Amino acid sequence: MLLNVLRRVGVFAVTVFVASLVVFFLLGVLPGDPARAQLGLQASEEQVQALREQLGVDRPLPVRYLEWIMGFFTGDMGVSYATRSPVAPQVLDALQVTLLLVLGGIGVAILIALPLGILAAVRHQRPDGTIFSGLSQLGISIPNFLAGLLLIAIFSVALGWLPSGGWQPPIAGVDFLRHIALPALALGLVNGAILARYTRAAVLEVMREDFMRTARAKGLKPASALVRHGLRNALVPVLTVTSIEFANLIIGAVVIETVFVVPGLGSTLIRAVANRDLIMIQSIVMCVVVLVLLVNLLVDLLRPVIDPRLRMPS
Amino acid sequence: MQRLIRAGTPLTAVLAVGALTLSACGAGGDDAGTTDQDGTEATGTGEAPDANVSIGMFAVPANLDFTTTGGAAVFEALLYNVYEGLVRLDEDGEIQPLLAESWDISDDGQEYTFHLQEGVTFHDGTAFDAEIVKFSLERLDQWSANTPEALDAIESVEVVDDYEVTVALSEPDYNALFWLAGPLGAMFSPDSVEDLATEANGTGPFEFVSYENAVRMEFARNEDYWAEPAGVAGVELVYYEDASAAANAIRTGGVDAVLRSEAFDQFESFEADEDIEVRVGTSQGVVVMSMNPDHEALAQDEVREAIHHAIDKEAVLAAATAGYGEILGGPSVPTDPYYSDFTGTYAYDPETAQELLEEAEVEALTFNVPNRAYAEASAQVIQDNLREVGIDVTLETQEFPAVWVEENMVNQDFDLTIINHVEPRNMNNYAFPDYYWGYDSDAARELFDEAAAATDDEEYASRMQELTELIVEDTPGVWLYNPPNVGLATEGVSGLPLNDLGVGIDLSNVTVSE
Repeated sequence: MLLNVLRRVGVFAVTVFVASLVVFFLLGVLPGDPARAQLGLQASEEQVQALREQLGVDRPLPVRYLEWIMGFFTGDMGVSYATRSPVAPQVLDALQVTLLLVLGGIGVAILIALPLGILAAVRHQRPDGTIFSGLSQLGISIPNFLAGLLLIAIFSVALGWLPSGGWQPPIAGVDFLRHIALPALALGLVNGAILARYTRAAVLEVMREDFMRTARAKGLKPASALVRHGLRNALVPVLTVTSIEFANLIIGAVVIETVFVVPGLGSTLIRAVANRDLIMIQSIVMCVVVLVLLVNLLVDLLRPVIDPRLRMPS
Repeated sequence: MQRLIRAGTPLTAVLAVGALTLSACGAGGDDAGTTDQDGTEATGTGEAPDANVSIGMFAVPANLDFTTTGGAAVFEALLYNVYEGLVRLDEDGEIQPLLAESWDISDDGQEYTFHLQEGVTFHDGTAFDAEIVKFSLERLDQWSANTPEALDAIESVEVVDDYEVTVALSEPDYNALFWLAGPLGAMFSPDSVEDLATEANGTGPFEFVSYENAVRMEFARNEDYWAEPAGVAGVELVYYEDASAAANAIRTGGVDAVLRSEAFDQFESFEADEDIEVRVGTSQGVVVMSMNPDHEALAQDEVREAIHHAIDKEAVLAAATAGYGEILGGPSVPTDPYYSDFTGTYAYDPETAQELLEEAEVEALTFNVPNRAYAEASAQVIQDNLREVGIDVTLETQEFPAVWVEENMVNQDFDLTIINHVEPRNMNNYAFPDYYWGYDSDAARELFDEAAAATDDEEYASRMQELTELIVEDTPGVWLYNPPNVGLATEGVSGLPLNDLGVGIDLSNVTVSE
């Protein structure tokens, strides 16, 4: 058990290291000059060269890599080329916003997926079950930015119930909920539909298991058999898929944040790319990588807790 | 200001812009107008001096330091509101006194003596005097952005007394006052230049309060302002990177006004809306398709003329801005003091174009298109137009600004390329053969020098007109249109500037009715 945890943490560390190399050197060959991006169309070559030296982007890549990665893990991510202020607080602020949004999205997705998926499985091969499956198929085929625009058109522009964009921190209370509602819904709808299909498949499979028949045979009603023996078993694949979906949600958030004018990692990243603010891009991408890997690690560690069979050494 | 909107149009409009949302992430708000009928209207019911106004903006400032950060976004917000210079441009583009009450220009045009306003202080309490002027203008050699070289002619700044200062030029430069009215003329307190990127300390009608990066900037009225105080107690500039997001915000009461709006496909529905006023003004922008003179075919006059005749600018304007804006025939814009209309010189005439092309061999051309909605729409129309006269054009989309600037302005690797030059008086770049469009004419350079040496408006304007005519004749590019500057205002908000003059957006006259 302990060995398993250590092994997983080791894999995590190596993956983070390799990812940092990939992120840094891929950005190193990104076309476009960071110095010129700050100075604009009118700047002369001398002005651009002077800024290149000032920013240190004229130094060799390995030197810059070492400086950046050492700083990254000691909390000093450097100073942004564009905003001229330290990167770390900006990334952390944006990260907080995105995490809230993604958690909201996951909440919405689970609220949609579990009932819809279970119902679709239980009512399998009946008209209403087919309708539930059809609904989730429809959900999958709507890109989340389109879902976002539709939600704005309906709930903000036509009905005037919720703001069309912007952000308020959690301490704002109701105002926070009003601002997060539509983006979280837009983000969660599609992923909820995807998750619903996995839930349906997992529940269907569990219902065919021998132990379910045994549960019925000992006198349990279908519903209580499913709740007491089925769902726990169905939960393992669903949890794994949720963790994979987490990465998708963060990527989805990049788009949703732009649609809803939310100052999270996504909008910060897009702006940083436009400004060729390399140090900011690296730090944001690394944060996302670490976050996704962390969630995967957590889920890996959590699965044996849910399913005792996974605790045995393989 | 929460309002219900009839479903149909806004819904389709919101969806129609959907595709743009993705491609226009970070779109610059540099396009902007035509002429307007009714400028600012009186509020009628009396103003609310304690009101705050919230204004949606495009083009996000990366930080607050326009001395080292390119693009108009930074100084647009700060100049005339927080920072002030010796002179300013008014709504019609005329130079007016600001921190200088008056000035005298020597007969040879090489010495400017400014008489300064007395009793002016910076927001931190520092007094404004002749030493400040000397400090600020001498500091121009530390600027790296926003064309400090436009004031290269300044040779020395002499303090005469506390409120009089003489600026000596190495050669006459008729444009000097114009540049002093823009960001280059901003006055800084010596104690505040260390943190220009994060703080702003000026003499203007608003004090800078805060800037939450790319989200909002806040100003509060400067109660000790030396002239008439601002009409509102506070201003919040809310930044949008997507035109439809800002349009939605004003529909749903998220902001009171929007400036530099580019939601062209929604203006029609806004115009039908009684609660929102659509104000169409003019901008400094020149959307131009440049033709590389190093390309064998494009070096021939007939080919460039043929291409000019082949392009249907009306169709380009319809595609790019839904018809808002002015069609151009030359490199100057309607607010330039030397503007004249050259739209007739190379009128849309595919037959003439074909005749001109009979002699010439034009192989396929590559058209580098920045990934901006207006540019992509224009390029597609041009591609069709040129196909009709037998020129095959391949469109190559390039990320703007990073990749486009590198490929076209630095490497100058293009056959055709298009861009909206938003900086005012960008016609001056036809004087530099190294500039990306590679226009090299001794006659033009002579005229530029003569215009700069002018000592009165008339002489300057007539030289510049002559020059414009010459450039149009040589046709190094196809000047397509001058984008509109569109503002949207909800009922009760007035005093917003109508035109974009390439300087600060003066918000001191904005009022909100009770």
